[in-house]
Amino acid sequence: MIPLSHFLTVSAVLFAIGLYGVLARKNAVIVLMGIEIMMNAANLNLIAFSRFLPANRLTGQLFALFGITIAAAEVAVGLALVIAIFRMVKTIEVDRIEKLKG
Amino acid sequence: MELFFYLLATLTLLGALGAVLLKNLVHCALSLILFFAGIAGFYILLQAEFIAAVQILIYVGAVATLVLFAIMLTQNVIGETTLKGLGQNRWWALGISLVVITVLVRAIQHQTLPSFLPEGRVTTNEIGHTLVTTYVLPFEVISILLTGAMIGAIVVAMETKKNKQQATGDRRRT
Repeated sequence: MIPLSHFLTVSAVLFAIGLYGVLARKNAVIVLMGIEIMMNAANLNLIAFSRFLPANRLTGQLFALFGITIAAAEVAVGLALVIAIFRMVKTIEVDRIEKLKG
Repeated sequence: MELFFYLLATLTLLGALGAVLLKNLVHCALSLILFFAGIAGFYILLQAEFIAAVQILIYVGAVATLVLFAIMLTQNVIGETTLKGLGQNRWWALGISLVVITVLVRAIQHQTLPSFLPEGRVTTNEIGHTLVTTYVLPFEVISILLTGAMIGAIVVAMETKKNKQQATGDRRRT
């Protein structure tokens, strides 16, 4: 069986890739995709720990289930905001949305 | 088993890298679908079959469709406008990501992690039963959250009369 550390390492690298996408890309849709990648990495950690810990294994899976639900709600609201912003300022590049700049 | 793990890890990492680095937005979204499917494979490897099914349904089904629709509604998909590159702070982002990888991987290596594998598996029956007994309050709260998010998304994305007039006015001016 593959040790737990392998799963955690994959999850850590995925989290860093998502973080890079959030920080480096200009497009707001890609920024949301980066957040999704980070949330999936966190869920992978929860499931991996629930497989290897002798405690009640249901808890980890249910936490991951709640995490998936919240991620779905978040992405729906986020993409609606992106569409609304695009309608208003005709761009979704995050460094060109500066209507609130004083 | 090991071969399957490494194959899956390669696929998932490639999918995530493609979603973040590719230039064409539609290619990014397709790469993201590969990443979601790879995560579902990991769940199957960890004996969480129900979560894997939920992952496929919600991410590969719903979220990917939403992302593709958002791309189609906001960008001119065919042509030069999709070729939007990286921002000015890409080197900062790369540095921060590398620091995060280093810290996390070192932390993982210096821990004594549990290697015990419990017998038996979690059935969908058990998950459903626990969801309406022990976790009934979070279950209800999250259903309210989902309803609120759904209504909120529709209200935010809806084209109001004021917006429409503004848009037509812009079009006349240009």
